[in-house]
Amino acid sequence: MSKKRVLLVDDEKSFTNLLKLNLEDTGNYEVRVENWAEDALAATREFKPDIVLLDLIMPRLPGGNVAALIKEDPAIKDTPIIFLTAAVRKHQVEENDGIICDHPCLAKPATADMVIEMIEKHARK
Amino acid sequence: MDPPIQLLLIEDSRTDARLLRAFLSESTSSQFEITHVERLSEGMERLNSRHFDVVLSDLLLPDSQGFETFEWLEAHVHDVPIIVLSGSDDETLAIRAVREGAQDYLVKGRIDGHGLVRAIAYAIERHRVEQRLQESEKHYKFLLESITDYTYCVKLAEGTPGKTVHSPGCISITGYSSAEFDADSELWSRIVHEEDRKAVDEQTRKVLRGETPAPLEHRITHKNGQVRWVRHTIVPCRDRQGNLESYDGLIADITQRKKAEEDLISSEAFYHSLVENLPQNILRKDLNERFTFANQRFCMMLGKPLEDIIGKTDFDFFPPDLAEKYQRDDRYVIRTGQTFETVEENQAPNGEKIYVNVIKTPIYDAKGQIIGIQGIFWDISERKRFEERLQKANQELAASEAALRKSHEELKAAQLQLIQAEKMESIGTLAAGVAHEVKNPLAILMMGVNYLTKKLTSADDNIQQVLKEMREAIDRADSITRGLLDFSASRQLAVKRESLNVLIDETLRLVRHELSKKQIVVQKHFTERLPQVSVDKRQIQQVFVNVIVNAIHAMPEAGTLTVRTYTKRLTETSHFEGSRKATHFWIGEIAVVAEVEDTGTGIPEEHLAKIYDPFFTTKPTGVGTGLGLPVSRKIIELHGGSLDVRNIQGGGVRVTILLKAHRN
Repeated sequence: MSKKRVLLVDDEKSFTNLLKLNLEDTGNYEVRVENWAEDALAATREFKPDIVLLDLIMPRLPGGNVAALIKEDPAIKDTPIIFLTAAVRKHQVEENDGIICDHPCLAKPATADMVIEMIEKHARK
Repeated sequence: MDPPIQLLLIEDSRTDARLLRAFLSESTSSQFEITHVERLSEGMERLNSRHFDVVLSDLLLPDSQGFETFEWLEAHVHDVPIIVLSGSDDETLAIRAVREGAQDYLVKGRIDGHGLVRAIAYAIERHRVEQRLQESEKHYKFLLESITDYTYCVKLAEGTPGKTVHSPGCISITGYSSAEFDADSELWSRIVHEEDRKAVDEQTRKVLRGETPAPLEHRITHKNGQVRWVRHTIVPCRDRQGNLESYDGLIADITQRKKAEEDLISSEAFYHSLVENLPQNILRKDLNERFTFANQRFCMMLGKPLEDIIGKTDFDFFPPDLAEKYQRDDRYVIRTGQTFETVEENQAPNGEKIYVNVIKTPIYDAKGQIIGIQGIFWDISERKRFEERLQKANQELAASEAALRKSHEELKAAQLQLIQAEKMESIGTLAAGVAHEVKNPLAILMMGVNYLTKKLTSADDNIQQVLKEMREAIDRADSITRGLLDFSASRQLAVKRESLNVLIDETLRLVRHELSKKQIVVQKHFTERLPQVSVDKRQIQQVFVNVIVNAIHAMPEAGTLTVRTYTKRLTETSHFEGSRKATHFWIGEIAVVAEVEDTGTGIPEEHLAKIYDPFFTTKPTGVGTGLGLPVSRKIIELHGGSLDVRNIQGGGVRVTILLKAHRN
């Protein structure tokens, strides 16, 4: 079984590093990290991830805009996106069945297991 | 027989002394007790120490010679007759002594027994007579001076007054003697006071006309210049044919009486002037309640002259009930002899209310018997009205002061509320920012811990334990930041109509494990058919969870949790600290009330003010965040309700939550 390709977009370098380590440690994922939101669109086109984990609040370009840009690009518009953010609270996510702004959402701080569970649930099969 | 005559003999010649003794002892008519001394000084001593009937003294003594011996005796011996002894050569001296007051003198060598005794007896007798005379003279003088009447007699010669004889008593009244009046026929008419002369002359003329004039009181000028009052009565004397022969005048000194009369008059004038000029009404009544006196002011008040008031009673002037009251007060004074003082409230004829101060006192006669009452009263309406105005002003002042104080306190409360609200808002804004910023590092830590947990499986148990605790710490930090965000969120409420009873029941189910673990008994007093409330169910549940968890924490060793619901029509609005809206409820509005009570130890007084402050907690770290109550209150306020925490008297805490009843 081929590894799932995961793109992490978050301005917190330490967070992306550690999440990457956790994911790769399972042996199930190939992870690419982008710490600048502007680079996310190009990385998606190039890396063609099975899922994008997108932070919402980032400098210069919010995660919501990044998601919109991906949706506008026909080549990558079907790429699943999960918001992984400190801006929502867990219960808000739960109340909306995990969907905020048309995309599933996971509140920080989440455990690695929770992230994996979300990936497995929403990533392209 | 008479007692012996006490004789002091002062004689330095013993021969002479012996001779004199011999003569005296031979006397058959009198007995003598003789004290003999040789010097004048000794004689004086004896005279000072006891009584003697007679002193027999030589003029030539060792300590005094010649006439001075007598002078000395005369000056120092009173009431004792002195007989001087002299030699034949100084008889002139002895005679001089007799002139100066000695009773007699005896010349030595010419004395025989008989003559001596007689001389002594005479001397004593003469002395006695002299003393009696002096006393009688003194008595006569005293009588003369105290006489206040005298008479004079005028003889008529052919119808006109002739010789006038003033009796000796005239001197005590006029200061002039009878002789002086005899010598000066004009003297009498001169001493009559100028202003009275006409009346006195008229009185005389009346007598001469054959009338008997009435006694006349007039003034005369005494010889010493004093003016005296006399009562002058003339009594005519007629012969058998009825012709005037003479007339007698009786002059009586009445100066004392006149003076007393004048004093009385002036004293009366004094009191009269007081009574009529005082601004008080003054009246007197006898024991039968009849007026015996009224001053002008009182007459004016009654509108009647004095003669129409005297003899009348209160019933003649006042309405019966008032008159009865006045007489009742009078009877009290008469019965008790006490002064009666009161302030009466009366109705003036114009309907105005007037106040009268009344003082009633008993009147006594000379024997000390009460014979009536005296009343003094005066209008004090002006003063009363002033007092009333003053009192009213005082009350108004006190009221406005109270109002001022109240509004000041309200202002202070509002200010506190505003400060608290500002504080809460800034804490909220700050908390939101901080919470978000904290969540990102927490996410990093979580990832790190997750990674290490997997990677370090082969290591010793301690590592796993450390990682577990770190994960728990991250969870705790996360729950605090969540609380902060809840507190700060200007949230959208998902409002639906809910039953508070159902909502609380569900909440109790959520915490049932906690309750049973602490052996807490739950008592529910729910009011059935409670009006529904429009609330965000999740949030209100969070409030009840917070409140109930607090109650559980307050009862670590069992207790009773009481939950009560009911409705209440509000009679007052309330202020809530930490809220910008001063009131959420209006008076008359229906509120749905939920009360949660514990049986714990209550909140210490010093903590009560801080319980809504974020992060204030007394619970151990990890048990409480200090956000439960502030967040709960915020939620309730967002619903337009109120949350109030109070200690219950006797222990425990009651949390009262008011929510608006749903309105259709």
